Amino acid sequence: MQRSTISRRHFLKSSFLSGAWVLSLNLPMAAQAKTKQPSTTGWSLYVRVHKNNQVTMESPVMEMGQFMRTTGPMMFAEEMDLDWQSITFIRDTRLHLKRDDEGKIDFRYVKANTGGSHSVRWTWEYLRKAGAAARQMLIQEASEKLGVPIEELSTTRNTVVHSKTGRTITYGDLAEGASQRQINESQITLKNKNAFSIIGTDKRNIDLKDIVTGKPLFGIDAEYPNCKQAVIARAPAIGAQIASYDKKAALAVPGVQQVVEMSSQEETHWFNGNVQILAAGIAVVADNLWAAMKGKAALNATWKNTHDAAKENSEERIKKFYDLVTDDSPAERSKDVGNVDEAFSNADFTVERIYEKPLHAHALMEPFNCIADIRDDSATIITGHQNPKAIAEEAEKYAGIDALKVEVISKRMGGGFGRRYERDFVREAILLSKKIAQPVKVTWMREDEIERGMHDPACVARVKAGVKDGKITSWFYRQAQTKAGIQDSCFPEGLFENFRVERCSNETFIPAGPWRGPQHPAWAFANESMIDEIAYKLDKDPLEFRLDLLLPARELPYTNWGATIKDSGRMAICFQEAAKMADWKRKRPKGRGIGIAGHVCHGSYAAFVIEVSVIDERLQLHEAWGAIDCGLAINPNHIRSQMEGGFIDGLNAALFNKVKVEDGKVTNNQFGLLRMGKLEDAPIEVHTTIISNDHEPTGVGEPPTAPAAAALANAIFAASGKRLYRQPFAESFQV
Amino acid sequence: MTIKFKINGRTIDPTNVDMEMPLLWFLRETQKLKGTKFGCGIGQCGACTVHIDGEAVRSCTIPLASLNGKDIRTIEGLAKSDNDLHPVQQAWIEIDTPQCGYCQSGQIMAAAALLAKNKNPTDEEIDKSMTNICRCASYTRIRKAVHQAAKFYEA
Repeated sequence: MQRSTISRRHFLKSSFLSGAWVLSLNLPMAAQAKTKQPSTTGWSLYVRVHKNNQVTMESPVMEMGQFMRTTGPMMFAEEMDLDWQSITFIRDTRLHLKRDDEGKIDFRYVKANTGGSHSVRWTWEYLRKAGAAARQMLIQEASEKLGVPIEELSTTRNTVVHSKTGRTITYGDLAEGASQRQINESQITLKNKNAFSIIGTDKRNIDLKDIVTGKPLFGIDAEYPNCKQAVIARAPAIGAQIASYDKKAALAVPGVQQVVEMSSQEETHWFNGNVQILAAGIAVVADNLWAAMKGKAALNATWKNTHDAAKENSEERIKKFYDLVTDDSPAERSKDVGNVDEAFSNADFTVERIYEKPLHAHALMEPFNCIADIRDDSATIITGHQNPKAIAEEAEKYAGIDALKVEVISKRMGGGFGRRYERDFVREAILLSKKIAQPVKVTWMREDEIERGMHDPACVARVKAGVKDGKITSWFYRQAQTKAGIQDSCFPEGLFENFRVERCSNETFIPAGPWRGPQHPAWAFANESMIDEIAYKLDKDPLEFRLDLLLPARELPYTNWGATIKDSGRMAICFQEAAKMADWKRKRPKGRGIGIAGHVCHGSYAAFVIEVSVIDERLQLHEAWGAIDCGLAINPNHIRSQMEGGFIDGLNAALFNKVKVEDGKVTNNQFGLLRMGKLEDAPIEVHTTIISNDHEPTGVGEPPTAPAAAALANAIFAASGKRLYRQPFAESFQV
Repeated sequence: MTIKFKINGRTIDPTNVDMEMPLLWFLRETQKLKGTKFGCGIGQCGACTVHIDGEAVRSCTIPLASLNGKDIRTIEGLAKSDNDLHPVQQAWIEIDTPQCGYCQSGQIMAAAALLAKNKNPTDEEIDKSMTNICRCASYTRIRKAVHQAAKFYEA
C-alpha cells in the first residue's frame, strides 16, 4: 500500500455510491502546475463499475452535434482499458463547480464547456489521466488479491490479466476494493499511441438509438415538478420598449395565470462591446405551453422605440462599409510587415477587389428553452448550454444564489454553433422564476430566436495584391464590419514579404456573437478568392500556385485565438490531398468547374475542392472533397461527419444565409424568409481524407466551415467565368 | 365537439383540450411524446413531421379539430419494438446520420413515408420529397441512409 507516501495535494479519492463504484479524482492539472497556481484545483470524472462488469459513464461535455459525448468517453475508456460495448451512458450531465482562492467560480473537475473547437483540447489530458488512474487502482487491487507483483499484470476489456498463470479477474470483482485505494499522480502512466485500441477507431454516436427512437434528450423535452410554462412577447427591434398590451385578454385565456413585464438590459458583452442582451418583453405564465402561446397572441403587444438603434439598417451599414474600406481614413492597423506601399509601386500589376459577407443567422433547430427553479438559497436550472458554468454565474448574479448551490443539469443541445454560449435565454428564466417565486420553463418561438440573433457580423473587405515577376509581393486587407475583429493571423498572413491589415471602426447596435468559426469565413472568403484570381491572371494552376506559396514547409507565428503557430506544410498537405481525391488535373466538361480553398484555424487545417456546374444561370453543386489535419484523429467517423456538415453549413451560409435588419428589427425572421439550405441544395457527397500524424489532437467543429465560401466562389468561376465577390451567392445565380 | 383518433395504434378521445391546438403540442405536452420536435410552428422546417394515415405531415400546422378518425404515427410508434426497429431507423444507425439530432425524428418520419410509396428512390426523388431542414447539414448522410433503408426493406 502506498498511502503513507501520498501528499495531501496529490491524492485520489473514491467512494462507494448506490451499489456502484464511483471514482472521483482530485489531481492538479499539469497546465496549472506549470503556471504555479494553487494546486487545490482538481479534476474528476465519474465512472461506475458494476459487479456484473458493466460500466456506467457520465460524459462530461454536453453534446450539440460536435460529438463530444462520444469523443470524451473514448479518451477515458482507452486509458482505463474498458470494453466499449460494456458502457452505458447517462443522458444528462451535472455541473461540478468550485470557488478558487480569489473567490472566482471555476469547474471543479474537467473543463466542461464546449466551443472554439476546443473541447477535445481542454479534456485530452484530463480524461486520459482519469482513465489511467482508474486502471492503476484496479491493477493495484488485483495485485493484492492475486498475490502477484503489479508489473506482471496487464489489462484488457474490463479485465486484469496475469499472463504467467493465465488467471483473470474482472473490473467488476475488483471495483469495490479498488475504490478504497488512493494513488499518486506519479504512478499513472499514459499509453503509447501505438497501444490505442479505441482512440483512432470509428465509433458511432453513443446516443444514436435514443435519437432515432425519439427519446426526450433535449432541453425542450425536459419536465420539472410543478413547473409553470412561459412564453415571452419580446420587443422585436433592438432597443424597443413596451408601448401597450392587453393584459386582460391574455389572462382570459384558460390556463394563463400571470402576465409579467420583463425589462431590457444592455451590457458589455465579452465578444464585442456594448449590446442589448435582453429585450423588453411581456411574459405570459401559464399551466401549459399552448395556453402561454395563446396568451402571448392575445396580448396584442405594441412597441415604441426611441433608442438610437431604431435607425439601424443592415443594408445601409454595408453600403457605408464600402465607403470605409475604399477611403483612406485612419483605421486600426493590426498587421504591418515590410513596406506595403513601396511594394505596390514596384509591382508589375496590382489587383484590388471588394468582398461582401452579410449577417449570418445562427438559426438553431431547437428554439431556446430553460427551466429555472429559484428558491430562497438554492436553485435548479435545466437547459442546454455550451458553457454550463455561466448558468451558475447567472443565478448568482441575478438571483443572489451562491453559484455552488445552483444545481445545473445540462441537456443535449439542438445545435449550438456559438449561440448557445450566450446567457440571454438563461437569464430570462432566472429573472422570471425569481419574480414569480415558482419554477418556470421559458420556451422561445422561432421568430424570437432569429430576431434576437447574435449574428455573425456583416463585413466588407477590400483586398489589394501586388504582383512582381509572377509572385505576390504585397498584400493589403482593409475591413469594416458590424462588430468584432479580424482573423488576421490565418494564411496568407506570413506568406508575403509586405503585409498589412486594417480594421475600420464603425460601431453598430446590431449584435454579434460567435458563429461557427467566428470571422474565419469572412477572412477565408476574401483572401482565398483573391489568391485564386491572381493564379488565373498569371495563368497558373490555382493548386500549384498555393503550394508555391506554402512550400517549403515552415512554422509561422499565429497570433489569433486557438494556436500559437501555423505550419505551412500542414496546410499544403491538405490542399494536395483534397486535390488528389478530386482528380484535380482532370478537365471538366463545359459548364462544369472545380474550385479549391483552404484555411487554418483553432489549430487545425482544412482544404476543400468542390465541383459545380453553371448552366443557363443555374448553379448546381455536385461533389466535394476535403482534407483535414486535426492532429491525432480520435474518432475518424465523426471527423468525417464534421467535415461533411461543417462544409455544407459553410456552403449554405455563402449561398443563402443573410439576415436583414431594418429600423433595428430583423425582417426575415423565419426559416423560409432566411432560406435555409436543404437536401436538394447539398452536394451529393463530401469525401474526406484525414491526414494522420502525431500532433496533439485539435478541433474539427469549425475548421471545415471557413473554406466553403471561397471554394464555392472559385468553382463557380471555373465553371462560368464569373467571379462572385458578394454573398449570398443565390442572389447572383438561380439555385 | 367530440372527436377520436389513433396515436401509435392507441385510440385517443381528447377531452378538455382546446381543439385549435396543433397536433404537435398535443403530442408533446398532453401525450408527453417528446420525440416530435418544435422547430418553427409554421410548417417550414419539418422537425415536427408525423404520419397521418401514412402521409408525412407537419404536425405544427394541424389543429386537433381536423383529426377525427385519423390514424397518427409518431417517431415513438415507428418501430415494432425496441429490439425491432423500423428499417429507416436501422439505416440511420448504420450510417450514423445525426449530429445534434434535433431534426432527425422529422427526417426519419419523412423518409419512412417516402419509402412506403417508393421502395427505391433515386437521389433526385429523395431530394424532391425530403425538404426538412437540418442546420447541422447532415444531408449527405441522410441521403445515404435513405438508400440504405431501401436495401433493408428489400432484405
